[in-house]
Amino acid sequence: MGFQVTELYKKYGDKVVVDHLSFKMDQPSVYALLGTNGAGKTTSIRMILNMLAKDGGIVQWNGGPLTLQNCNVGYLAEERGLYPKNTLMDQLLYFAALRGVPRAEAKKRINYWAERLEATEYLYPKQEGRRPVKPKKADQLSKGNQQKIQFMLALLSDPELLILDEPLSGLDPVNTDLFKSIIHEEIGKGKYLIMSSHQMATIEEFCTDLTILNRSKTVLQGNLADIKKSYGRINLFVKAEQELRPIIEAMGITVLSNVGFSYQCKVSGEAQANALLKDLVAKGITLIAFELREPSLHEIFVEKVGETHEEQ
Amino acid sequence: MKNSNLRGAGTVFRYTVQQHYKTPSVIIFLLILFVIAVAALPLMTLFSGEQKESTETGIRTLYIRNETEYPLDTAALFEDARYHDLKLQETDEEDEALNARLVKEPDAAAAVMKMETEAYYFTITTRYAKDCEVSHGDAIALNNVLETVLHNSLMKALSITEAQEAIIQANTISQVSKVSDFLSGAEETNATTHVMANVVYNYFILIICMLAMSYIFQQCMEEKTSKLVEMLMVSISPTALLLGKILAVTVFIFGGLALIAVGFVISFLITRQISDLTTIKEIAVKLLQFDPTAMNLNGGTVVLFMICILLVYAIFAFLSGIVGSCCSKAEDTQQASLVVVLFVLAGYLASSFAPMFESDAANIVFSIFPVTSMFSAFPNFVCGKIGMPILVLGLVIQALTAVLLIRIAGMVYKIMLLYRGGFPKPKQLMQMMKEYKASAKVNTGKEDSHAV
Repeated sequence: MGFQVTELYKKYGDKVVVDHLSFKMDQPSVYALLGTNGAGKTTSIRMILNMLAKDGGIVQWNGGPLTLQNCNVGYLAEERGLYPKNTLMDQLLYFAALRGVPRAEAKKRINYWAERLEATEYLYPKQEGRRPVKPKKADQLSKGNQQKIQFMLALLSDPELLILDEPLSGLDPVNTDLFKSIIHEEIGKGKYLIMSSHQMATIEEFCTDLTILNRSKTVLQGNLADIKKSYGRINLFVKAEQELRPIIEAMGITVLSNVGFSYQCKVSGEAQANALLKDLVAKGITLIAFELREPSLHEIFVEKVGETHEEQ
Repeated sequence: MKNSNLRGAGTVFRYTVQQHYKTPSVIIFLLILFVIAVAALPLMTLFSGEQKESTETGIRTLYIRNETEYPLDTAALFEDARYHDLKLQETDEEDEALNARLVKEPDAAAAVMKMETEAYYFTITTRYAKDCEVSHGDAIALNNVLETVLHNSLMKALSITEAQEAIIQANTISQVSKVSDFLSGAEETNATTHVMANVVYNYFILIICMLAMSYIFQQCMEEKTSKLVEMLMVSISPTALLLGKILAVTVFIFGGLALIAVGFVISFLITRQISDLTTIKEIAVKLLQFDPTAMNLNGGTVVLFMICILLVYAIFAFLSGIVGSCCSKAEDTQQASLVVVLFVLAGYLASSFAPMFESDAANIVFSIFPVTSMFSAFPNFVCGKIGMPILVLGLVIQALTAVLLIRIAGMVYKIMLLYRGGFPKPKQLMQMMKEYKASAKVNTGKEDSHAV
């Protein structure tokens, strides 16, 4: 049951753009599709939604093919817009009608999301002095505010499967937090959520499972926590009040970067880190920080994509 | 095509129509069209001098200088109620003296009748003073009566009876027909009426097609240019989206035509008030030089006309849908228009020349082949050039063409929705369609099973 993509494949002429992508979500969770520019994320999403014909593969929802009729999908596309000359309320009601949401219910939902996304003032006519001010048209809104309306369009049908392609790109920090809180809410409601983003920190905050794509191929896949665990605690951060580089390097540890007396290092394992700590203490060096941690998603991504670049 | 594939077409239709009529420029455009339609016939009547003559006149005295060699018979003048009390005076005064007299006598007019002996024609010049009691309308009405006076004078002087005149002026209607047609009693409309019927019908179709084309291009590009395509595609199939939009354009076009028709009815009623032309036939003959009663027109042909127009519209709308789907930006519409215009012109020119062949075979071929039958079938039928079976065959072929085109339009719209390049060449488009069909087979074996 749930959502499953099997051996998804697409090529343009001789160029393979998605190479046998497979993943599944057995239960409501957040799945991340990561990759460099042109890795095939958006093409995969378009094939999943059947906007683009597949050259191979199957997309299933609850055991059957994913269709308009059997799955309520909400989609925030990477390339998004609005009808520039139409009022926002008209557009929201139109999208709701297309999704089969009755008008009265649609108005209720629009009202809820408008308040939640702080967009009420753009949707309803208001009185400014003696003059009534008409509700806004899309081209009168800033990019960020348009994005709020687009997010509303994706959420209006109360979808079971929500696909967000770069949902936070172009947002200011305040609106980023607003969007994040809504995404957390949707996760809390037990929805299937697929996210694609370049912002690793954001993905790390939400996702449970992921696939990293590079040049159409899957280079890493699995549960984020398990992946991190498999890497082990090999990232060491050391901060002191004096120069440590010679001591660290003498232990065979690679210093990745340093700013002042702060050092980002890569160790082979916990034993090597412990040996360094013992040595530093024995030398009577005052340590401000000594932290051994798992690699971040950003580091894993860079490493994996870097590896495949070298291979090619 | 599955019904589920068309789900949402009604919503798209309603939304598109609603937004169209909310646009102020559209309302202004429709108002202008309506005003033009209302004003058309009365203005044509006024410019052609067919307006109703006044029952009163400001002319009390008329000076006539007769420079023809025939004596005037003025009986017709005094028979007209407006001129019972007219003071008529024949004069030899020159123009200057006559003009001076008219300035002094504000209720007088002067008419000079001349005969050009070399070219055999007559002139009647009626004059009146500026700022006097005689209006321009009075002078025109008098001139019309003086034409009759001159005509009667000539008839009398040359001893020609009314019967003799009628015989000389009788029209000659010539017809060429085969013995079989002659024996069957089949009546043929003459070539002039056939050509006129073709021209009028074809112009009507051209207007509809050109309007439909630009509207449909605009509608096809709307989602692409506003970057809403992908968001919409999870709610509705491309075919339903395209169909909803084309139906909406149908309302724009035929709504506009209905408004113009209402305008023309009002225009006709106004024309009846200001002229002596009281029937549509009279107006058509006098103003358009076209006799509609020479064709097989009745209630049934009006219904056939509607069917023909709807089919022609459907074919052009779906063709415009295919071509419009290939446009990604406004500049692409120039190339797209060229494709449709070439197609329209091919049919239009071929069918315009069709009546000149005067051949049954040509009429049948032109009435069946879809590109030409859209223009030729109906005029050929009403002019008696083809029978009902050929017309029906032509219409069935048109209907099948329309169904084929909407299927292709849906497919092309779907293929091109995410395409952002320039206007594709036919070879490129065919290649894309081929790849799409191959992919569709891989997916489910049926390209129409629109999954999300």
